[in-house]
Amino acid sequence: MLPIGLSFQQAPPISVPFRFFLTAPLFLLAAATLLLVEGPDLMVHRHSAAALAAAHLLTLGFSSMVMCGALLQLLPVLGGVPLSHPGRMAWLVHAPLVAGTLGLALAFLSGQALFFHLALIFLGTAFGCFGLWLASTLRKIRGGGASIQGMRAALAALIVTVSLGLVLAAARSSGLTIPYVPLSSLHPLWGLGGWTTLLIAGLAYQLIPMFQLTAPYPARMTSRLIPTLLLLLAGKTLGEFLPGSTGKALSLAASLGLDAGYLWFATVTWQLLSRRRRKVPDTTLQFWRLGLGLLMLSVGIALLAEVMGDGLPEPWLLMLGVLALPGFILCVIQGMLYKIVPFLTWFHLQSAYPGLGIVPNVRDIHARFHADRQLALLAVALAALAVSCWLPALSRVAGLLWMAHALWLEINVLQAARIFLKVRRVARIREAH
Amino acid sequence: MVMDILLDVRELEPPEPLEKVLEALCVLENGQRIRMIHHREPHPLYPILQREGFRYETHFTDEGAFEILIWRSSPDN
Repeated sequence: MLPIGLSFQQAPPISVPFRFFLTAPLFLLAAATLLLVEGPDLMVHRHSAAALAAAHLLTLGFSSMVMCGALLQLLPVLGGVPLSHPGRMAWLVHAPLVAGTLGLALAFLSGQALFFHLALIFLGTAFGCFGLWLASTLRKIRGGGASIQGMRAALAALIVTVSLGLVLAAARSSGLTIPYVPLSSLHPLWGLGGWTTLLIAGLAYQLIPMFQLTAPYPARMTSRLIPTLLLLLAGKTLGEFLPGSTGKALSLAASLGLDAGYLWFATVTWQLLSRRRRKVPDTTLQFWRLGLGLLMLSVGIALLAEVMGDGLPEPWLLMLGVLALPGFILCVIQGMLYKIVPFLTWFHLQSAYPGLGIVPNVRDIHARFHADRQLALLAVALAALAVSCWLPALSRVAGLLWMAHALWLEINVLQAARIFLKVRRVARIREAH
Repeated sequence: MVMDILLDVRELEPPEPLEKVLEALCVLENGQRIRMIHHREPHPLYPILQREGFRYETHFTDEGAFEILIWRSSPDN
């Protein structure tokens, strides 16, 4: 009997997602180093140059980096549409995303127009290529479930986010006069509450029941939540530009609707995870729980900000950013990474070398990662960063903890790459004999 | 009559059900069947079974699970 292997023709090579997964922790490390170097100056205001640089190292360099890599791997398999020229496509997105993120961070820190121009070119290329690929792939998928619909909505939000970002960057570099206040609040809203959260929700519909062995999400949520959130984001945008009390009322109503939607997603996901069928401990579950708890807290602060208008002190607004970005989004993305990376390592090895008896099983690969230490580091680093919003003197301690956290993540993804390369080396030696 | 191989993978997360069934296929004897109990229909498994010369039947059970019966299509493979 010949050994049995996998053959999913749609799956791109492992080098496609792994180049993104290996790069992302390095940007997390860069953001942490910036916090260590700048210290309290970074925590003065959420729109300080250092805070903006750190935020973009996280959003572009970490979360978008991971999500682009994951989508380039998952969408061809989920949608049954192979990625043509995977190596070229990965290069066209990855290289300019790296260069553009570095350029933008340097632009914020130095204030030099040249870096803004470079960032505009590179990020425009990266997201242009990625957006065109995503749009053409999604068009080829007929119908599609809630996850595919989530990706369509996330793509729409990505287009708005990138467009707003390009306008803001162009204005900073050329002195162009723009309505800075509404645009600078809408850009992060579309990026975090749109592109990232809609994609997380869409992927969660598929990945939570599958990997955490829960019941499916309720149909009324999977059919309504994401389109409603997208409409509310559009309503909020319109409200920001309509004059007078009508605009204010629309903006407030849309914000409250968005808060309710995010809270609904967090509550339902929490309930599903609480009633999962498998009772064995699982660290990725704790990443999700921590992330969802932080999402609920950030919605609470957002509500407070909406009720109090401009009266909420800056530390609370900084805290809102901390709970949403390094909080909810990083927790959930790392929860997904610690499932996807061992899975892909196993999957690609099993596909290539099914019969040699040298492919470790997926539990062994999981066991080598010590995700529990990663979670503990993340929780402590987050707590230190949250306290730094009120006690900026602690920010350098938070920076050190985030550096340790980022290094641990990089070591673990490298460990997966090492396992892959080691098995491949052994297989090649055996095949040669 | 050879006993069926029972694989209840309802409490396993991907890709462990696939790992288990690939291992069982390698030791499946002629006339023997694998009876796999799964909480979802394992669509990625079917093309592998067809390619490797196995036959299968899928039923939805009263317990709300999928039962997949797998056997060799000919004694030679």
